[in-house]
Amino acid sequence: MRMATRTRDCAARALVPAASRLIGTPAARAGGLVYRKQTCRDESRHGRHQCPRHVLPILILMACAGLLPAQQVLAPTGEPVGSPRGEDAGSYNITDSFETGYRFATIGGNDGLYRSDINFGNGLRLLGSTLTIDSKDGHGRYFDEILLTTIGLGNDPYESVILRVHKNRLYRYDMNWRENRFFDPGVAISGGGHLLNTTRLLQDHDLTLLPDNSRAQFDVGYSRNTQTGPGLTTAQEFDTQSAAFPVFTDVRQQWNDFRLGVTLHAAGFTILARRTWEFFKQDNVDNLTGSEGSTEPNDLSVLQQFSRAQPYHGSNPSWLGSLFTNRQRWAVNARLSYASGDGNFALDELATGLDRFGGAANREILVSGSAQRPALAGDFNLSLFPSDKLSIVNHTAVSNTRIDGDSYYTEYDYGTGGLTSLSFNFLGVRTVSNRTDLHYSAKKWLGLYAGYTYSDRRIRVLEAESIPSIANSSLSNFYPQESTLSSVAAGLRLQPVKGWTVNLEGEGGHASGALTPISDRNYHTLGGRTQYRTKKLQVGATYREVYNENAPLSFTTYSSRSRQAGGSASWQVNRWLTFDTSYSKLHLDSVGGLQFFAASQFQTAYDSIYISNIHAANAGARFAIGRRADLLVGYSITKDTGDGRATAAPSGASGVAALLDSVQTFPLTYQSPMARVSIRITPKLRWNAAWQYYGYNEQFQLFSYYENYHAHTGFTSLQWSF
Amino acid sequence: MLLSSAAMAQTPPAAAGFVGSNACNTCHADVWSTFYKNPHYQSLAAGDRPPAETGCESCHGPGQAHVAARGGKATIAHAFSIMQPKATMEVCLTCHAKDLQKSNIRRSEHTLNGVTCTDCHSIHHSPSAKFLLAKQRSETCFACHSTVRAQFDMPSKHRVNEGFMDCWDCHNPHGTFAPTWRMGSRPHMVEQTAFNDEACLKCHSDKRGPFVFEHPPTVVEGCETCHYPHGSTNGRLLQRPVTMTLCLGCHNGGGTGTRLAGVDIQTAQHNLLDPKYQRCTTCHVRIHGSNASAFFLR
Repeated sequence: MRMATRTRDCAARALVPAASRLIGTPAARAGGLVYRKQTCRDESRHGRHQCPRHVLPILILMACAGLLPAQQVLAPTGEPVGSPRGEDAGSYNITDSFETGYRFATIGGNDGLYRSDINFGNGLRLLGSTLTIDSKDGHGRYFDEILLTTIGLGNDPYESVILRVHKNRLYRYDMNWRENRFFDPGVAISGGGHLLNTTRLLQDHDLTLLPDNSRAQFDVGYSRNTQTGPGLTTAQEFDTQSAAFPVFTDVRQQWNDFRLGVTLHAAGFTILARRTWEFFKQDNVDNLTGSEGSTEPNDLSVLQQFSRAQPYHGSNPSWLGSLFTNRQRWAVNARLSYASGDGNFALDELATGLDRFGGAANREILVSGSAQRPALAGDFNLSLFPSDKLSIVNHTAVSNTRIDGDSYYTEYDYGTGGLTSLSFNFLGVRTVSNRTDLHYSAKKWLGLYAGYTYSDRRIRVLEAESIPSIANSSLSNFYPQESTLSSVAAGLRLQPVKGWTVNLEGEGGHASGALTPISDRNYHTLGGRTQYRTKKLQVGATYREVYNENAPLSFTTYSSRSRQAGGSASWQVNRWLTFDTSYSKLHLDSVGGLQFFAASQFQTAYDSIYISNIHAANAGARFAIGRRADLLVGYSITKDTGDGRATAAPSGASGVAALLDSVQTFPLTYQSPMARVSIRITPKLRWNAAWQYYGYNEQFQLFSYYENYHAHTGFTSLQWSF
Repeated sequence: MLLSSAAMAQTPPAAAGFVGSNACNTCHADVWSTFYKNPHYQSLAAGDRPPAETGCESCHGPGQAHVAARGGKATIAHAFSIMQPKATMEVCLTCHAKDLQKSNIRRSEHTLNGVTCTDCHSIHHSPSAKFLLAKQRSETCFACHSTVRAQFDMPSKHRVNEGFMDCWDCHNPHGTFAPTWRMGSRPHMVEQTAFNDEACLKCHSDKRGPFVFEHPPTVVEGCETCHYPHGSTNGRLLQRPVTMTLCLGCHNGGGTGTRLAGVDIQTAQHNLLDPKYQRCTTCHVRIHGSNASAFFLR
């Protein structure tokens, strides 16, 4: 009966949360289309006025305006909890939502790759939370806005906290804190010899003073980035033809970044100056706690003792200045940035054991030196607007990076010092580029653009080496290289009818003096995109190809062809049902010439070929069951069919042919069905339960490693507001 | 609400067709009721700005004609839903052009392709906690970039779907200055670090150096020489499942004795049929750069 007495307006207000707080896309909001029972009476109690009747359809449209969340990650739950409009406390309005629960995971197969790809574990979590406090008159005493969101706190592998505190006209503080527990079995790299089990902690703090001032703003900032934890690396002892032994490494790295800046506005110009200081230190220590023998045939080497310390400390101070103005018929902006990097290092490596012939070996390596990297970058944009429909933008950029350093290397055998060699290396990269873009909005339904880029790059490499104790022992080589690039781009945008857009674009370019065989040389891109969007339906399709075809193919050239096509659709059928689906086809084929040694034979008759055909699909549906429950089901799959072959190498193939055949394609299937139910217990409390399965299945073995795994993960949680 | 209404009521109606935000509330109560949570509310709260920079009319233009006509989009000076993309952008830039992050917006890929501010931002009905995005976080980008979304569903990926990072950690959707790598041409929308480096090095600082022995492609051509930055079916976002095939792309024996005209043939000891030489980085452990070995051995 109480429900029956409620006005339509109340229901409309109840729908707002979904539209304003929830997880963005239409379906997410559709999930929030639950009439809240308390709103009318409660809000009256808080002295709120009645919404006009015509607000209802607007709010319904708002609620329908998004789509189902494409991303198939289960937590935090996207359903709304609590009053959509929050609670008033003095001159502030507060909304909050906290989801806490237990996460579980059962894993079969290769636990290492599961931890690398997914890494969800067991335990209690604050799966997600949101808190907003807003001043209703914009004149809060200490702040006008507090925004706090968290994800995964309490031991999820991906944790984040975002905080904003803002006082109009006085200050704005932004904080972003993130922690990632990263595990990598390192199989693809080194057969597990480069395992990583580290935690990366990132935090950024930015405080802007007088953010709305028309004359000046000041900003200070601090960022910290640390990576710590155990891992494995490899050490090749006792010569360059010996086995590489896995050794323990203690990863300890940190970067601290301090920023100070000022922005001034005068005479229509904005001038910004910012000074940044970054200090870094890497103090990784590698060692071996037990004896290891080589597993290589005909290699008798044994590593009995090993330790390696390699501290590397330095700083990267930088300057940034920019100037810009925006006028009715023209605009200018310019940037000049200079960073000077400097690092000092030392390395002490001690290894004892048996060499590959079985003889006793004792080697110590000492290295020390320093490296510098000054980098200068300048940009100048000039924009002209001859008419309201035409924009011409010319962009000139200059960058110059110079990296040089010296490295003193001494190797001791049984405590007897060898000759110290000194290496000096210089790498300079200077690039000047100019791009002009014309953008013409012919009609509301037609836009055109064209652009031309010319770029000139000069690379200089100087490699010098000497033995200081020997006169005239210096050797040096200087390798300059000049490259130029010319490219033309054009595109158009059509809007045949309201809501339907079509974009077509293309670019073709030629670069001379490409640095590497796989660099862009003769390339083109073609792309198209169409999208139809209404309040309840979004349909889109996209295509893009990037070809870098260098013919004729020789051992110094390379060609690759990448084609990506995709389509997506999202449909808000009604208030309780939403569908979302997408499909993408990602194709890549590449071929490059090869020359190499195999079994002491110089091989020239083979090409390096790689073919990938990835089909990726994602489908989801959200059901609002009655007024209490929401059900989300989804499925995603990534399937690389390779080139269609049934076995890694044709039967009968052997030797080099079999080896190269086996690495030409890598078919696999990775799929993940999921389901989540959310039930409203009270207006301020929901119960959620979710399940997600991950299945990873490689079709062929790579170097005798099967990494397949399957895992059931999920959680049960309570989502509440107070 | 009463307080916010009072604040809005302070907005002084003025000449040149401005009527003040209070008039807008009469019909647009849905926008009005939550507008105090909108960053643009600051223009109202300030109370001392000229009408053209205050409240609704700071974006939509003078509302007198609209009020007189008792509604209708055609009478709104700036009715964004029927404006050309370029015109929409220019209105937003009236205030936001002072932001360095948007200084390349006129030459950005988005602008050139007719993607304007209101395609990604929902000024009045944003579900996003920050930035007034039209959708939640990276969902905003996935609405158009479906093939990129597919890459984030791959087994090896950056943790965007998990909420750990966002597209704009690496990209500036408003356009960027020319990259300092890859001939200063492409990619167009990747943001640089404060040290003029590729965006990857914001987090992966250990790969930045400076190193005495740099691996030139990483400095000159960028990380995507070897890695797919969004996602990959191969471990560590690599472009190939086997390290050997990745390295042989450049180390193809095509060198002529220089470092830059191709890479020299490896020595005969590199017997590719020996498993030891099929995993290049087992020995060349410091492949991103080294201070102790020209061949990245330590």
